[in-house]
Amino acid sequence: MIAYAANLATIVAIFGILAATLNFVVGFAGIFSVAHAVFFGLGAYAGAQVALHIVPDALLACVVAAVVAGGLSLCLALPALRVRGEYFVAASLGLQMMATTLFSEAKAFTGGIGGLVAIPRPTLFGMEVSVLPLALVALALILFATALLQRGAFGRTLQALRDAESAAEALGKNVAAAKTLAMLFACAGAGIAGALFALHLSFVNVESFTMDQSVLVMAMVIIGGTGTLWGPVIGAIILLSLPAGLAFVPFIPATEVGAVQQIIYGLAMTLLMIFRPAGLVGDLSKGRATA
Amino acid sequence: MTDEVLRTENLARAFGGLQAVAGVSLSLYAGKVTALVGPNGAGKTTTFNLITGNLRADSGAAQIRGKPIMGLKPWQVARLGVARSFQDLRLFTHMTVRENVLAATETASWFWQPGGGAARRAREDRAARALEATGLAALAHARAVDLAYAERKFLSMARILAAEADIWLLDEPASGLDLASRLRFGELLRGATARGVAICLIEHNLDVVTELSDRIAFLDQGKVLAEGDPQTILRDPALAAIYFGDRPQEAA
Repeated sequence: MIAYAANLATIVAIFGILAATLNFVVGFAGIFSVAHAVFFGLGAYAGAQVALHIVPDALLACVVAAVVAGGLSLCLALPALRVRGEYFVAASLGLQMMATTLFSEAKAFTGGIGGLVAIPRPTLFGMEVSVLPLALVALALILFATALLQRGAFGRTLQALRDAESAAEALGKNVAAAKTLAMLFACAGAGIAGALFALHLSFVNVESFTMDQSVLVMAMVIIGGTGTLWGPVIGAIILLSLPAGLAFVPFIPATEVGAVQQIIYGLAMTLLMIFRPAGLVGDLSKGRATA
Repeated sequence: MTDEVLRTENLARAFGGLQAVAGVSLSLYAGKVTALVGPNGAGKTTTFNLITGNLRADSGAAQIRGKPIMGLKPWQVARLGVARSFQDLRLFTHMTVRENVLAATETASWFWQPGGGAARRAREDRAARALEATGLAALAHARAVDLAYAERKFLSMARILAAEADIWLLDEPASGLDLASRLRFGELLRGATARGVAICLIEHNLDVVTELSDRIAFLDQGKVLAEGDPQTILRDPALAAIYFGDRPQEAA
């Protein structure tokens, strides 16, 4: 039971990082990316390759994953600089679909459909460690960095371009640079989450980096509260604990848990949009803004 | 007049078959208010958009203190000292009044602003002064979306004040303001011109134009039809006829 709880806590912390970093672009910059799982995947594969072929050092794996995912965030930043709103959603959707195919086909890097197996247990400075404390520290650092950026000038720049991009530009803000940096931060964070995920499971394949995963992370952000610090983490806890909790409900047959879970997700999203459009943690008045 | 800070030469821009701006040449001078007057669709806001880089000109040129600005992006033009307001205000609605104004003082797009704590305190002082000058200090922590109409207008002006630009392009900044607010707005403009700010004002209220402007450029169908002091331009019966929609019919 302890191992089960520790596993759940690790996954929640990893998805907390994913949701918090996605929230950085969705909630603060207003860039609705449905391709966050791509950068999660890139980080996972990069981290796994480091562990398999160089050394299973968690720190090194996270750094390499952040560099790879952050570097390739330009793939997402470029369309974000040219299109907005639903057009960007469509562009990021295209990137997600393309990446899923590439992950399945680029066998040398990803292991193809079968994925990468037998990833060694992570170490830190030569000592074997569990991923849970690493994930919690990474989550804490990312939340701290987010809070710092959110309260400072960079956070104001992102919120300004979210609310009125042309007015932000008219005040001298280089919107393209700000968006690119926001993407870089978010995607590098997703990469770190990916590396921790690979080290935790000792196995990764494309199934974890599909559109479904991107939508799940987006749901965590929306349910928790976009543009809030803690909302995405709360969203991750709720959406990951739900299936775990349903498995213990005696009158739901094990085979129907998945279906019940989907119904609950859908119902929760609908009710939330009606009664708390800004999410569980979000400011209620935000969702009802008139201007 | 001396001290020309901004000049446009034959700016032109068409949208499909519509020639929105058809060769606008205009100069703005330090410490002077120039009003752009003309009927709806005359090309006034498009001229602003061409100057600020929000639209690309089909032809023509513009320069700020002799430096060509055609082809620059809006943020690059802004960093040359141009601040503008929009007809629809475009406030950062979900930010507080103070954050709106602080954002106007922070132009670096990196994760942090240069200059450390001293520069940050200087920016906060600038923002506080702008809020004081626009009468918004008491509302500093209210969200922009919750402000009344006149307060929103003044917040738009506070951002411009805090930006410390020396060329202001104001698109109908006084529309919908009551008399008391208009007087306060006039004081703001007079304070700015006393500091040497060059102001270009698009305005339909001719009382405001008469009160505040030193010069008028009258636009119609994308062209400057006349330029001069307010009394001369506003008393011209031919221009009045165009402005009030009593345009003489052209011979077929």
